[in-house]
Amino acid sequence: MEYEEAKTLIVEKLMKKQKSKSKFYFSDLAKILEMKPRAAKKFINQMVQDETLEYWSSGSTSMYGLPGTGKQAAAEHED
Amino acid sequence: MAFVSSGYNPDKPMENRISDIGPRKFDEFYPPVIAKNKGKWLYHEILQPGVLVHVAESGDEVYTVRCGGARLMSVTHIREICDIADAHCDGYLRFTTRNNIEFMVDSKDKVQPLIDDLESRKFDGGSFKFPVGGTGAGVTNIVHTQGWIHCHTPATDASGPVKATMDVLFDDFKQHRMPAQIRVSLACCLNMCGAVHCSDIAILGYHRKPPLLDHEYLDKMCEIPLAIAACPTAAIKPAKVEFKGEKVKSVAVKNERCMFCGNCYTMCPSMPLADKEGDGIVIMVGGKVSNRISNPKFSKVVVAFLPNDAPRWDATTAIIKKIVEVYAADAQKYERVGDWAERIGWEKFFEKCELDFTHHLIDDFRDAAYYTWRQTTNFKF
Amino acid sequence: MAKHETPMLDQLESGPWPSFVSDLKQEAARRAANPDNVEFQVPQDCVEDILGVLELSFKHGRTHWKHGGIVGVFGYGGGVIGRYCDQPEMFPGVAHFHTVRVAQPAGKYYKAEYLRELMAIWDMRGSGITNMHGSTGDIIFIGTQTDQLEEIFWEMTHNLNQDLGGSGSNLRTPADCIGSSRCEYSCYDTQALCHDLTVEYQDELHRPAFPYKFKFKFDGCPNCCVASIARADMAFIGTWKDDIKIDQEAVAAYVGGEFAPNGGAHSGRDWGPFDMEKEVTGLCPTKCMMYDGKKLYIDTANCTRCMHCINVMPRALRIGDDRGLSILVGAKAPILDGAQMGSLLVPFVKVEEPYDEIKEVIESIWDWWMEEGKNRERLGELIKRQGFQKLLVATGIDPVIQHVQEPRHNPYIFWNEDEVDGGWDRDIDAFRKDHQR
Repeated sequence: MEYEEAKTLIVEKLMKKQKSKSKFYFSDLAKILEMKPRAAKKFINQMVQDETLEYWSSGSTSMYGLPGTGKQAAAEHED
Repeated sequence: MAFVSSGYNPDKPMENRISDIGPRKFDEFYPPVIAKNKGKWLYHEILQPGVLVHVAESGDEVYTVRCGGARLMSVTHIREICDIADAHCDGYLRFTTRNNIEFMVDSKDKVQPLIDDLESRKFDGGSFKFPVGGTGAGVTNIVHTQGWIHCHTPATDASGPVKATMDVLFDDFKQHRMPAQIRVSLACCLNMCGAVHCSDIAILGYHRKPPLLDHEYLDKMCEIPLAIAACPTAAIKPAKVEFKGEKVKSVAVKNERCMFCGNCYTMCPSMPLADKEGDGIVIMVGGKVSNRISNPKFSKVVVAFLPNDAPRWDATTAIIKKIVEVYAADAQKYERVGDWAERIGWEKFFEKCELDFTHHLIDDFRDAAYYTWRQTTNFKF
Repeated sequence: MAKHETPMLDQLESGPWPSFVSDLKQEAARRAANPDNVEFQVPQDCVEDILGVLELSFKHGRTHWKHGGIVGVFGYGGGVIGRYCDQPEMFPGVAHFHTVRVAQPAGKYYKAEYLRELMAIWDMRGSGITNMHGSTGDIIFIGTQTDQLEEIFWEMTHNLNQDLGGSGSNLRTPADCIGSSRCEYSCYDTQALCHDLTVEYQDELHRPAFPYKFKFKFDGCPNCCVASIARADMAFIGTWKDDIKIDQEAVAAYVGGEFAPNGGAHSGRDWGPFDMEKEVTGLCPTKCMMYDGKKLYIDTANCTRCMHCINVMPRALRIGDDRGLSILVGAKAPILDGAQMGSLLVPFVKVEEPYDEIKEVIESIWDWWMEEGKNRERLGELIKRQGFQKLLVATGIDPVIQHVQEPRHNPYIFWNEDEVDGGWDRDIDAFRKDHQR
C-alpha cells in the first residue's frame, strides 16, 4: 500500500467513527490498514509528522486521533 | 515577563529539529578514578554508615559518601548539590536508584571534610539537607511516587508520608543494627507507577469508594466508550439517566465490581473517586527483589486500611516503627523481613507485631488467591 | 511573606529527614527575590501555589490535579504528561502544570556543570521543582505551561545534546544499576548495554505503537539493586558459569575476625564472632559449600549464584570469569491480574557489542507482543494468557529445564498434531474393522 492510500483509509475510517469515539489504539489503526504492526508504524509515524493524526496519552497508555477532535480538547482547554 | 524564544519556530516545527538523540553518554560523567578502574574493582567495605570504600586491582581507592534526599528537589537545592560536588569531588556526583546522592572522592583524607560539610547543612526549618547514611543493614531511603503534589489519581500523598516515616526511622538510616537491609517503598495508588510490590515494607495508597458520577457534564466532557473501555473489571456500562427532568447520556457503575483503580477518572474527569474518608493506606510487608539465600518474593498485605492522618500519618508510622523494632529484636542475622516472617510463621508475625487479622487479608482476587490459603495441617496456635 | 498559609505543611519542616516543604519554601523565596534576574517564563509565584494547593490537599484529603493527554512535543507520543489544577482561580500559577520526563544518563552519574545547565533551562522555563529521579529512572521536571514545552525541548536538544524520556505505550526510559563502573559484583557493563539499547530503540521510546508500557532494567548481578526482576518486562541480570574465585587466605581472615563480614554492613550491633557455618555455609540455599576449618570448598555445579557467600565475604570470594547475563521476562506490578515476577527465558548469553543476540530476543518478543497483545496487556499477561510455549516459539528458543521451577502439575498437554505419529486424520472404517459399533 502507498502512503497516500493508507492516509485516506485511516482518515475515512476515523471520521466514520467520530460520532461515538475520537481516540484509537495503535492496534485499531494497524487493523484498518490490515498491516503487521511494525509496517503500520512507519505510516502512522508519518501521519503524525504531517499532522494527519495526533497523540493522546493517559500517561500510561497512548492513543491516536484526528487533530482537535473529541471532547478531551475542550475539557483540557488546549483548543 | 516577556516570552523568550529558544529559537524554535512554531510555524515550522520540523525546521532544524533535533530528535531521537537519547540521554547523554554516561562516561562523560565518570569521575577519573571510576573511568580508570571500571570493571577492575576488587572489593568494597562500608567504613561507617553512609561511607564506602571500593578498592581496585590497581590499588586505587574510591570513597563514596552517600546521603539521603527528598526526591522532590528544587533547582536551588540541586545547585547546592553541585556546589558541594565542585568543592569536594571535582564536580562529579551521582544519584542512586533509591533517591540517595553519592559524592565520590579518590583519597581518604578528603572524606571527613566532605562528611562535615554535608552534615552541617540544614534547611531553615531545621531538618538536615544531606544526612549521611543509607548503607548496610539499616533502613535506606524510600522510593516513592508523586502523591498529592502532582498526580491525578493518588489515594494518599507521597512526599508527606515519606518525610514522616523517615523521621521515625531516621536513626536506622544512620546505623547498621538491623538483621539485614530494610527497603521501604511508597506508591500512592494501586497502579503503582513506583513498583512497591516486592518491598520489605510497602506503603500503598488505596481508594475505597467507587467513582462519583457527574451526570450533568459526563457526556459533555468525556467520550463514554473510552471511560467504559478504561475499566479493568468491566464495571462501567452506558446508561441513560434522569437529570433535572431530562434524559441525559451517562454511565452506570457496578459498585461491587469496582477495584478503585481510578483508570476511569484518567479517561473521564467527570468520574472522580478521591474521598477523605474513603482514601487511606494499606501496609504490605515481606517482599524482596534480591535472589540472595531465598527467591525474590512479593509483599503481603498485613494492614488493610489506615486513615490519611495528615500531616504526619501517625497511625502508619507507628505500625511501621513497631514492625521494624520487632523484626530487629527477633530476626536472625542476614534474614530479611519476609524470610523472618516465613520462618516464624505469619501467625507469629501478627502476634508479635500485635496486628489484627481480618477477612480483608485473605486473598480472593482471581487465581493466585488459592495458593495463599493453607493447604496443610502444619500451623501454629 | 508567604502567599498561602500552610499550617499543616509547616509541621513537616521539623524532624531530621530532609524536608521537601522547607525546600519548596526556599525555592518560592528565591523566585520571589530573583537575585539572578531570571526571565521566568511561567508564573514567578508558581511554587507558592504548589505549596498552597498541596496544603489544600492535606486539608481535604484529596488531590487537586486533573490529567490531560493532548500536550507534548511535536512528533513524540511520550515524555510529557498533561496536568491541570482543579482550582485554577485559587492557584493560577499552577493552572496548567505539565510534567516533563528527561532521559537520565545510565548509572545516574553527573557533572555539576551539566546539571547546572539543565537547571538553568528549568529555572527559566518551568517551576524549578524536580524529582531526582522518578520511579522509572528519568529526571522529572514538575510543572510547566504548554507554550514552554517546545522551547524546553529545543534548548535541551540543541544546547545540551539531551532528549526526553518515555511515557505511555512506549519503551520506557531504561535504567540500570551502578554496574561494573564501581561494583565488583557486576557481571557485565550495565551502563554500556543500557545506553546502547536506549539509543538503538529511540523510535520505540518516543513513538507509541505498543499495546502498553514496556520496561528494560539492567542489574549487574542477582542482588538486583534496580529491582529488574520485579518490575521490568525484560530484566537483564548479570550471572556467570564457572567457579566462584576463592582467596583462602582472605577466608581465614574472615574466620579470624580480621575482616568484617558483609563489608561492614552489620557494624551497628554485636553479633558475636564470625561463624562460618551459621553465617555462610549453613545459609547457602543449595548447601554446595563446605568449610573444613582450613579451606572453603564450593561445588560449582550445584551453586545457583545467589550471591550470599560473596556478599558476606567480598574480599575472599569473587564472581567467576565466564560472565554474561540471564534474561527474565514479564515482570509487572499487580494491576491488573496480580503481580508477576520475571520468568527466566534466556539462562545465559554473553554480553558482547554490538549485542546482536540480545537484540534478536528483544525484537522477536516485540513482534509477538505487538501482534498478539491486547490493548493495555503487559508482556507478562500475554505470556500467561497464551502460555510460555508460545513465547518460546516466538523467540525461537528451545525449552530447557531451567525455564521451570518444577514440571507441570497436570497432564493436560495440548499436543500438536505433528508431534503424534500418523497425525490426527484417521479412517473410521479401518477402526471399525477391529471394533464393532
